[in-house]
Amino acid sequence: MTKPKIGVYSLTGCAGDQLMILNLEDDLLALLGNVEIVAFQEASSVKKDTEVDIALVEGSVSTKTDLERLKDIRKKSKMLIAIGDCAIGGCVQAMRNQETTLKEKMKKVYDKEEDYFEVLEPYGLSKYVNVDLELPGCPIETTEIRQVFLSLLHGDIPEIKDYPVCVECKLNEYQCLLVDKGMPCLGPIIAAGCNARCPGLGIDCVGCRGPIKDETNAAEELRTLKEKGYDERYIENRLRFFGANFEGIAKLSKMLKEKTSGKGGK
Amino acid sequence: MSKEIVIEHLTRVEGHGGIEVTVEGKKVKDVKINLFEGPRFFESFIEGVKWDKVPDVMRRICAICTAAHNLASIRAIEKAFKVEVTPQTELLRDLLIHGEMVESHALHVFLLALPDYLGYPDAVSMVDKYAKEVKAALQLKKAGNMVHNILGGREVHGMNERIGGFPTIPKEGDLLAIRKAMENSKGTAELAVKLFASMGIPDFAHSDNTLMALDPGKKFGYIGDYVLISDGKRRKVEEYRELTNEKVVKHSHAKHSSYNGSPIMVGALPRVLLCNDKLYGTAKALFKEHKGKLDPKNSLTNNLAQAIELVHSVDRCIEDIDELLSNGLEKEGLVKIEPRKSSGIGAVEAPRGILYHDYSFDENGCITKANVITPTAINCANIEKDCRVAVGKLITEGKKNLEASLELIARAYDPCISCSVHLVKVKFL
Repeated sequence: MTKPKIGVYSLTGCAGDQLMILNLEDDLLALLGNVEIVAFQEASSVKKDTEVDIALVEGSVSTKTDLERLKDIRKKSKMLIAIGDCAIGGCVQAMRNQETTLKEKMKKVYDKEEDYFEVLEPYGLSKYVNVDLELPGCPIETTEIRQVFLSLLHGDIPEIKDYPVCVECKLNEYQCLLVDKGMPCLGPIIAAGCNARCPGLGIDCVGCRGPIKDETNAAEELRTLKEKGYDERYIENRLRFFGANFEGIAKLSKMLKEKTSGKGGK
Repeated sequence: MSKEIVIEHLTRVEGHGGIEVTVEGKKVKDVKINLFEGPRFFESFIEGVKWDKVPDVMRRICAICTAAHNLASIRAIEKAFKVEVTPQTELLRDLLIHGEMVESHALHVFLLALPDYLGYPDAVSMVDKYAKEVKAALQLKKAGNMVHNILGGREVHGMNERIGGFPTIPKEGDLLAIRKAMENSKGTAELAVKLFASMGIPDFAHSDNTLMALDPGKKFGYIGDYVLISDGKRRKVEEYRELTNEKVVKHSHAKHSSYNGSPIMVGALPRVLLCNDKLYGTAKALFKEHKGKLDPKNSLTNNLAQAIELVHSVDRCIEDIDELLSNGLEKEGLVKIEPRKSSGIGAVEAPRGILYHDYSFDENGCITKANVITPTAINCANIEKDCRVAVGKLITEGKKNLEASLELIARAYDPCISCSVHLVKVKFL
């Protein structure tokens, strides 16, 4: 059997999802021995401009160059997998989408208004191209990327979790941080797959795997947290860290915009 | 006639960058490091965010320096709100930052830099001939990641290190597991020193460097409130603006830093050279043995300095764990925070050099202003200087050689381009 050709590509982000592949450590050499790597910028000088069977793409589309590269990668790949939040919903850098213009951001950080970089408002890949699979996480989990590799090598479609972090919390029998302790936990609307890592450490979920697509009841999360004493802007900011580009949260923001909002937290 | 040498995409570095050289006849006209990582505007979008989750967002500037960003962010906030953490927290933070150094340096020294010297495109291709070494390097990297996992909660963007302490204190058994992994990898760290000390390190970038490193106090380390400079001065981190003089450079990429008009080098070589009196144990012995090879004017010797730090950090992880265990681990909870209108600056040595986070808060504890200066942004002007010197020397060698040599320089700095939050123009001629 010929080894499948794999390309690992990176757009704008922290390069953490590539790093998580390298973090497979114990399995890395065995895994990479079963595929042919044709591009992996962080790990290898090999760069072949060739067609691939599977393209793994991390990072958000944040510049015109990103977009051109993405379109080229799509053209040359049979299967395109978005790895990590940046490639799915734009991640933290998308937090102020629709709130602050790119000009305002340029002015603030670089004290210039010209569009030096041909910047685009950050979005995930699926805004622009057809994406075959989305693997969430900031960063992705090593267990999940390992599973994706193994499934694909066996000709299966990898399974991606579509239920909330709360499910994993219950399975682990963790105390509910939201109901019992009144902490501003986003578990109810965030995609599982982390094995409720933060609640397990006593930390309220900050939402780093992004909201569950098409099933985000952000209004109910807002209502619950308000009941616990948190103010609207605080909750909204938290929802936007990893979710600004998701429909349910964008809608909620729009609704809140029409009302006056306070500052600070509890 | 004008000739361009363009390395379009530096590989085996974190993030996206390239080098562009313009040569006219036999004269170097221009050298530019292009960082074309898209800008993410962290300092802008963090405004209005309440203090409690600021580090959760800001650590996402970078994956491989995640603990350094987290800690710099936490320290800035703690300084602003005058928070004192417990000795146990200090010790756990020291362990975490030394663990990050092990992970990052193991990756860089063995898997990203070494292939250059042995003539391979990557570490996986080295496996046929160097299986034992590559596997040992991965084990060393894993030992570093164990620290991330056990103290931080995961390898990248760990969340258990927080403002005011650690919500969950590691278990004794887990610390002992890290200790064992570090013990097992000691030899690998020492092998790194041996390898880079025996390698002919090219000196085509030989030129004056202004070095800066955080003063770690009595013992060699990566956390501090003062900056040591190679001109003999010692300055407060609060003076970071004068120490870096970040300026937007037209026709260029990252904001350029300078000190007294010269570019600045930060990272392992400056740390080891400026703080060598604070080294001890095996790392000290190895420093003494090889100090002739650590040349302040040759940035390429940075890899050897990283290897010495690897040895130090492996030993220090063991030392910190022993101290934690002999003190007895206590569940302490987090220090209570009282936000106020104020500002604070936190500095930490990331694997690639000094990292500054500077925040101002309003009376509710929400960010009104943020500024982050990363080591790769500081190093950028110095990498350009080195490349200019090297091109001048190597111009007769032909394009292919020159490109490889320039990549070698850039990679020696272990640049982390995703980190460079300040980017300006990418100009293609």
